Amino acid sequence: MRLAISIKNLFFKYRNENVLEEINATICEGEYIALIGPNGGGKSTLLKLILGLLTPTQGEVLIFGKPPFKQRKLLGYMPQYVNFKLELPLLVKEVILQGRLERFKFRYTPNDFKALYEISQKLKIENLLDKKISTLSGGLRQRVLLARALIANPKILLLDEPTASVDMKAQREIYALLKTLPITKLVVSHDINLLLEGVDRVFYVNKRLVIHESLDIKISSPREGHFCQVELFEELKRSKNDRSS
Amino acid sequence: MIEALELFSNSLIASLLLSFAVALIGPLMLINRYNYLAASIAHGSYGGVGLAIYFGISILLGATLFALFLAFLLALITFKEKYPEILISLVWAVGMSIGIIFIDLAPGYKSDLLAYLFGDILLVPNLDLWFMVGVDLLLLAFVALYKNHLLALAYDREFATLRGLDVKFLHTLTLIMIALTVVMSIRSIGLILVIALFSIPPYIAEKFSRSYVGSMVLSGIITLIVMIAGLFISYTFNISASASIILFTAVLFLGVFKR
Repeated sequence: MRLAISIKNLFFKYRNENVLEEINATICEGEYIALIGPNGGGKSTLLKLILGLLTPTQGEVLIFGKPPFKQRKLLGYMPQYVNFKLELPLLVKEVILQGRLERFKFRYTPNDFKALYEISQKLKIENLLDKKISTLSGGLRQRVLLARALIANPKILLLDEPTASVDMKAQREIYALLKTLPITKLVVSHDINLLLEGVDRVFYVNKRLVIHESLDIKISSPREGHFCQVELFEELKRSKNDRSS
Repeated sequence: MIEALELFSNSLIASLLLSFAVALIGPLMLINRYNYLAASIAHGSYGGVGLAIYFGISILLGATLFALFLAFLLALITFKEKYPEILISLVWAVGMSIGIIFIDLAPGYKSDLLAYLFGDILLVPNLDLWFMVGVDLLLLAFVALYKNHLLALAYDREFATLRGLDVKFLHTLTLIMIALTVVMSIRSIGLILVIALFSIPPYIAEKFSRSYVGSMVLSGIITLIVMIAGLFISYTFNISASASIILFTAVLFLGVFKR
């Protein structure tokens, strides 16, 4: 297994206060990592450090052995939707194509449009390409942003709360979709459902990092409709009883 | 009527050139929320007018150089400061003060302050028309080349950064383009009233457009309509053209959004 991301002794300070302390982690190619932790615990900050949007105060992040800013073409990013200007009159296809922009590339090529149709078919949004982005429902809008992150064929996909402000059905669809993508994935989420969708490891970030290896929750009953922490604990209780009997 | 048209010929050309500029830069200012920055450049540029009068150089040249300087200064301020509003206001007021003081100090003939703050579209010199053509062409090249980059930047700055776009360069270049557009309107509509023209037509246009290019075209059309309507109101009632244009724009704005 190739090493996709390595984080060595990373500290990040904001206004003289440590946001992140002594973070060490390695992520192999193809791994699916869930990033959880309390609000303000540094999840999004860690994601931005990995992306190279922020620079560590101490320590380093390497993407396939090189600093993030040299490896931008390998990174696909889906930010939190709260940072967006919703009212911008942009069409869905214009938003997705942004994922193919480069510093000295000003026009989209036929290859870009080919990639646009391929990715939109894969994510089942090919009928929405000429719609205004602001008219889409939360779930569809997230698919569009996922398409924008994927259109340049990244090796590593980083998602920040991809299912915030999306209904249950759309949430599960997005996670089911992520599961099928055979690339390295790092997902920030509060959503308990994520933990059940084939995640390899869970990173708990609250200033420091705690890595939970090989999370293996088997759900005995098929999940339909509602599923929250309570059901999860019930499942755990059940599996514990099974083991002890 | 024919005589009126002859009188208006430079005004009509100026209106057309200004509408073209609004179409190109107005929607960009709107989506980036640059109106306050543009207002600061516009008012601050008055410093360039004062300096030009004091040193006896061309006012258009003085205002252009000073506006470009302000564009760089404001670009720097917006990069460095987390809450740049205070400094943006300072640039606004200091620029105007410099203008007033240097006009006070200028020997001999005192130029009319109001002429540059509010313009006079009936008296646009031919030189200014050529300057406007030049700025329009620059704006066209700028938008034609960078449209996709500028939209990506406006929509999601972080993502644009990740794609390797030079965010600072694009931001600075946009402010430079705004500065040039402000200066080109100095004789026709004036430094102060131009802000209304940059803001309101693109705002109305955005509500009725499906795409960004659509909002550009509609911004230009609305600007041309309000300018020509304002000109004829001004001619009919013998009142100031710039103010008539802006008031007509405001009435249109209220008419569109009342409900």
